[in-house]
Amino acid sequence: MAGHGERGRPSKKHKTSDHHRNNPVVVPDTDIQSDDDDNARGDSAAKKWDFTKLELKADHANRPLWACADGRIFLETFSPLYKQAYDFLIAIAEPVCRPESMHEYNLTPHSLYAAVSVGLETETIVAVLNKLSKTKLPKEMVDFIHASTANYGKVKLVLKKNRYFVESPFPEVLRTLLRDEIISQSRIVPPEGSQGGDAFTISKTMGEIEGRHDELLNEADLAAVVEEKETHSFEIDPSKVENVKQRCLPNALNFPMLEEYDFRNDTVNPDLNVELKPQAQPRPYQEKSLSKMFGNVAGRARSGIIVLPCGAGKSLVGVSAACRIRKSCLCLATNAVSVDQWAFQFKLWSTIRDDQICRFTSDNKERFRGNASVVVTTYNMVAFGGKRSEESEKIIEEIRNREWGLLLMDEVHVVPAHMFRKVISITKSHCKLGLTATLVREDERITDLNFLIGPKLYEANWLDLVKGGFIANVQCAEVWCPMTKEFFAEYLKKENSKKKQALYVMNPNKFRACEFLIKFHEQQRGDKIIVFADNLFALTAYALKLNKPMIYGSTSHQERTRILHQFKHSPNVNTVFLSKVGDNSIDIPEANVIIQISSHAGSRRQEAQRLGRILRAKGKLQDRMAGGKEEYNAFFYSLVSTDTQEMYYSTKRQQFLIDQGYSFKVITSLPPSDSGPELNYHSQEEQLGLLNQVLTAGDEAVGLEQLEVDVDDIALLKARRSVGSMSAMSGANGMVYMEYKYDPSLSPNLPTTPIHTFTPFKPNIL
Amino acid sequence: MVNAIKGIFITCDVPMAQFIVNMNASLPPSQRFIIHILDNTHMFVQPHVAEMIQSRITEFREQISYEKPL
Repeated sequence: MAGHGERGRPSKKHKTSDHHRNNPVVVPDTDIQSDDDDNARGDSAAKKWDFTKLELKADHANRPLWACADGRIFLETFSPLYKQAYDFLIAIAEPVCRPESMHEYNLTPHSLYAAVSVGLETETIVAVLNKLSKTKLPKEMVDFIHASTANYGKVKLVLKKNRYFVESPFPEVLRTLLRDEIISQSRIVPPEGSQGGDAFTISKTMGEIEGRHDELLNEADLAAVVEEKETHSFEIDPSKVENVKQRCLPNALNFPMLEEYDFRNDTVNPDLNVELKPQAQPRPYQEKSLSKMFGNVAGRARSGIIVLPCGAGKSLVGVSAACRIRKSCLCLATNAVSVDQWAFQFKLWSTIRDDQICRFTSDNKERFRGNASVVVTTYNMVAFGGKRSEESEKIIEEIRNREWGLLLMDEVHVVPAHMFRKVISITKSHCKLGLTATLVREDERITDLNFLIGPKLYEANWLDLVKGGFIANVQCAEVWCPMTKEFFAEYLKKENSKKKQALYVMNPNKFRACEFLIKFHEQQRGDKIIVFADNLFALTAYALKLNKPMIYGSTSHQERTRILHQFKHSPNVNTVFLSKVGDNSIDIPEANVIIQISSHAGSRRQEAQRLGRILRAKGKLQDRMAGGKEEYNAFFYSLVSTDTQEMYYSTKRQQFLIDQGYSFKVITSLPPSDSGPELNYHSQEEQLGLLNQVLTAGDEAVGLEQLEVDVDDIALLKARRSVGSMSAMSGANGMVYMEYKYDPSLSPNLPTTPIHTFTPFKPNIL
Repeated sequence: MVNAIKGIFITCDVPMAQFIVNMNASLPPSQRFIIHILDNTHMFVQPHVAEMIQSRITEFREQISYEKPL
């Protein structure tokens, strides 16, 4: 129950569930009925919170977790076994909410699939879980684990010496697969295979030891794991791999394939001679995530996704993976800026020579040199379907023809699924590694990634990273700004329905709070501040009034570089205003304060991405550790006009961060009541002037920023104006992102056009 | 002569006062209920509308508060 309370859920839910328990005849609360497909949850709220059936073990105090029949697991983080239990749980279950003292996890078919794919076996999962649980494992949970893992991981797809093999320790499973028409047609029968269709190639491999959880198992269990195993396999036609994989998905034969790359025995592809530099010391959590990708014994690489918060050093994980596999590596980023950053990271952390790495973007086409190399490019460059210039056509042809040891994919959460399919079908790779900070998508397409790339291999706990001083300790605050009388009166009027956003963003009290915070952090603490505004009208109005530089979609590349350079180096430029172009692609490690004045409706991901801008740890490590000099060294303010829609969005946006264990402090007294005309919009005439400005502006001008076509950028999140329910508009219906459809007719010679050529329509203030 | 009118005295914050004013204005003249707006945070209304005002405000509040689905 503790997890329930700490989630920040309103107490109203508690009341309804109590209510149900007392009067079972009462008409079910619509909230509870409608919100979940899970039957165990829907039929009776009382059942969900009834734990009387759980049997407590005698030595429960020494065990760290509670396992419930519906698949939920609660972990006490103050247990001495926390670290081991956390490593185990993160491998088998999906984290739901991870506040300071109590974590909640959920067992799902996908999470168990991931567990099996990193080498855990059904019996091991049940045994370890039973060992850690304070209560006797509910039968339902054991059955669920058995049912979910029965087929997962039984079949492996292995690429050996350029031939694809379907491998399994269970010959009967392979026979089942071959009964499928599509799969049997894809099979390549060896010429001497006259002994009939049932003969499989048999090889012996050492079973993998799950080293990490050894200490939790007794010796008998261990012995069983190390036993030698026989592997049966048959070969399939490389051109039909996709079809075979598709037939094996849960909606068809339900034997999802694991993909592994036996890179040590790959003699066909040339080695890439790179190593990590000695000073590149992966941190403990980076080591751990890599150990999930590379088995402990086998020296094979698994495909999958690693989730680490922004600023926690995802690139070192990527570079380390490339250095272990030591084959050609194709690295995909979201835009040209990140391509440069990745190339830089490779040179920084590894011994790669300049002639072993090349960048391929619309304005930087470096040719491959040598037969093994690292190529850094963008998703759009690879997936682009239109006509290319001759030069890039040649490079794409080389990408197509090469066999890649590692396909490294950055920011996998932003890339539309169809683009992934395209990229994956174009490039032939042995192993795919996806990296991301926020595995949430408002369109709920995250599960697609499980099959397109692979299961989630590792997810770090944000708060543990903060405690270790690896990322900044951020104070999150929601500043409540009351609407002024005049603004609220206009906000309520029906005829202003299209201007609602502009009215709550331009609320003079919000402006004053923002101005106050900027002055406070600039003057008292000497901080570097980013102000985010999605609404272009507000962005320009705020920036002009406060005389600060701003960057938005149509700011030219030179202009951006100049503003960012001054922000980084000049003591006089401490604040920069950014539109949503700054969410992902602009790297500003200096900033440690974020003020958010308007945002993209209820997007949890945007909130997390924006927080990520200030997560990179700054200052001395010992100051940042718990009990160090500075408790908080970064600040995240979200300014919200009370009594408006913004309150709804704001709470929804925070959910992801709350689930990571962050708490939002509510501040109601900003600016302080004694502040007078030193802040703008003090007098009523000024406020009315501002109101007039908002009301006379056209509906178009006060709307959301429409990002221009950017060849390399996948900031393709165009907001759409439409009439709809609050839930639809906030993403609860899975509609919040409209994926950008590329229209080649807009710019026929795209690959050769330089990006960022749009000139700003307003003079910049710098 | 003194005229006495029975009614309800409402005290609220600035935005909610505007909400009630807006509600009043959206009704046809015959149904308008505000007898007198005293200042930014106080008003005097007809006695029968208390429940209606309260339910409209609750509805408005629910619209702008997010609850995480269970």
